[in-house]
Amino acid sequence: MELLDRYLHAVEFWLPKRQRHDIIAELSEDLRSQIEDKEATLGRKLDDAEVETILKRCGSPLMVALRFRPQQYLIGPTLFPVYCFVLTILLLGCIVPRTIIWLVFLLVDPARAGYLHMENMLSTLVFFAFFTTVAFAILEKTGALSGTLNTWNPRKLPAVREPKRIPRSSSLFEIAALVVMTLWFTSIFKPTTVFNFFGAQITVASAWKAIFWGFLLSTAGGIAIAVANLFRPYWTPLRATLRLIVDVLGAAVFCWFLKAQILIAITAPSLPAARATKLTSVINFLLLRTLPWAVVAMLIIAACDIYRIVRLRSPKQPVSGPQINDLSHSIVNGR
Amino acid sequence: MTQSNGNHDLFENLRLELRRGCLSLAVLSQLRTERYGYTLRKALAEQGLDIDEGTLYPLLRRLEAQGLLTSVWREEEKRNKRFYRLSLEGKQMLKQLGTEWQKINASLSGIL
Repeated sequence: MELLDRYLHAVEFWLPKRQRHDIIAELSEDLRSQIEDKEATLGRKLDDAEVETILKRCGSPLMVALRFRPQQYLIGPTLFPVYCFVLTILLLGCIVPRTIIWLVFLLVDPARAGYLHMENMLSTLVFFAFFTTVAFAILEKTGALSGTLNTWNPRKLPAVREPKRIPRSSSLFEIAALVVMTLWFTSIFKPTTVFNFFGAQITVASAWKAIFWGFLLSTAGGIAIAVANLFRPYWTPLRATLRLIVDVLGAAVFCWFLKAQILIAITAPSLPAARATKLTSVINFLLLRTLPWAVVAMLIIAACDIYRIVRLRSPKQPVSGPQINDLSHSIVNGR
Repeated sequence: MTQSNGNHDLFENLRLELRRGCLSLAVLSQLRTERYGYTLRKALAEQGLDIDEGTLYPLLRRLEAQGLLTSVWREEEKRNKRFYRLSLEGKQMLKQLGTEWQKINASLSGIL
């Protein structure tokens, strides 16, 4: 019976303490009865191999013991999909922007890429994952969400979004903002290399002329698309592609402006020459330091525009199922 | 994993799922008379319903915790054995579950 004793001892290890003795006594009685029955049938004692067969059929000690334990989980099946969703959003929100910013700095301003400290990314991820898990475990234990889950109302569910639809209010807002910005821009700046502001003379690089017209071109394109969206408020692949081109043009012009060391000189009666030179270089330096962030913004805008084009081109079925026309077509064809 | 293995595993899972609900009813019905675990298993096996130790004993404990069974340790043939039988609540539950089973059986027979 040595094998049987070893087996029972192994099962006992995993059992809840308070029930150990009781469960082992009962299980032991069952297994001994099985062995005795078999011995009576064969008319001899069972050898180790035969006892082993009986014990193997009973199951591994851990599996047998686990069946006596109540089902336990940190986050239950109801909350688990929500937990996965929140964790995915948090971790992506932690990884993606930081990686994009780091990559842009590495490419555009490598000297400053180090300050982003990518090495502590893993500890940040573990931190987020740990506290999200703890928060959901607490929600599970306290049942704090069960009330909300039981009192839901179909009227309070979010409306189904039409991905192609463009709200007229956003088109109107876009037109107004672009027109105001263009008027302000053209009232202050001209396509020339010398400006006079309140007695001060500012000389800019010759690239300014191209930047000036590039900016006007991109805002004119933006206004034209917004007007088209106002009267035809559904995205088409063509219009979405034009939007991408205009946005990339505007962003490229802006990045050029930041990088072009645009300020040549500032002269003012009350400003000493040395200070004016210093001021010019400081402004150019600050504009250049803004460049990586402008590239990040440009990438995000371009990614959103590309996503829109891809979504418009994908043959996705609406969530409400086939249209009436499709159904009638199927009926006519006997499908 | 081959297709036939996958089908076999799926069948096993569905079969176990189907059996799981029936086991409580079968155990309750066999405990109208007092039995201990091993004889209960043998009685069920004789009726064509094999049930292993790892399933039966946790189930007996659960049914007892729910108040449907009572148990007592007693010496028989020089060994301590735990004898189970239906409680009053268990008898009522068995009656209700039996009726429910008949309904399900009739419905399924019609459907199949």
